[in-house]
Amino acid sequence: MATAIYNTLFRRNWTMLGVVFAGAFAFELGYDKVMNKVWDSNNRGRQWKDIRHKYIEGGDESEE
Amino acid sequence: MAAPLRTASRALARSTATAASVRTAVRAISSTPAVRDASSSYQSPFKGGESTTKVPDFSKYMSKGSGSTNALFSYFMVGTLGAISAAGAKSTVQEFLVNMSASADVLAMAKVEVELDAIPEGKNVIIKWRGKPVFIRHRTAAEIDEANSVSVASLRDPQADEDRVKQPEWLVMLGVCTHLGCVPIGEAGDFGGWFCPCHGSHYDISGRIRKGPAPLNLEIPAYDFSDDGKLVIG
Repeated sequence: MATAIYNTLFRRNWTMLGVVFAGAFAFELGYDKVMNKVWDSNNRGRQWKDIRHKYIEGGDESEE
Repeated sequence: MAAPLRTASRALARSTATAASVRTAVRAISSTPAVRDASSSYQSPFKGGESTTKVPDFSKYMSKGSGSTNALFSYFMVGTLGAISAAGAKSTVQEFLVNMSASADVLAMAKVEVELDAIPEGKNVIIKWRGKPVFIRHRTAAEIDEANSVSVASLRDPQADEDRVKQPEWLVMLGVCTHLGCVPIGEAGDFGGWFCPCHGSHYDISGRIRKGPAPLNLEIPAYDFSDDGKLVIG
């Protein structure tokens, strides 16, 4: 099992580099998502997207 | 004299012996499991001779896992560190670049929409765009003919009328005199176009310089006609 993973992912340098970059991409996506969620939950009710409906009726997402 | 020499040679001999023994010891540790099982009663790899050096028992510190698991773990940790560093580096660079780009309020100011239906034929409209006046003229057919009849080669800044407009009936230009930046007056001057009161530059109906000190034609901003009869400048 360990040998198989090692042989497929880390044995050759270019494979390892690819795995590392792919991992970096995935990590960044996940990290950004989590951090945005943390930020939004910390600032709930204070951001424009939370209070927008009080000031703009209709045309919800069509207008930016 | 003889004593130091003998000490030196003995030291030399000892070092070679140690090197050899270390090699044997390493081989003994890293080979088959049979040897590892025997490590509870550790055998000194020194064969023969009196043992002057006690090699400590390192078996306690040896990894329990197999070699491939250890390699996998090591490379996984290295790769994870590399991935996090790469993500951090990319994020740093990206944030710097994003920081330099225009913010939302600047972008909101950068575009102006004009209702073209509200401008009758033969009329000028001046609007403000990025802090500068913009002239929009709804030209009549006669004015278009007049602009096209001028010989391009005779102009100071040779430019054909069709290069200055997207639709011939709509002339859109920056209302800043190319001489020293005054705002020219519409429907004035010797050529029926614009006249700059500061130093007397005359522009024709296509906004081209015809007379006076200005070196260039009036500048054309980036603009586009939207489908619903609106002009978008910017």
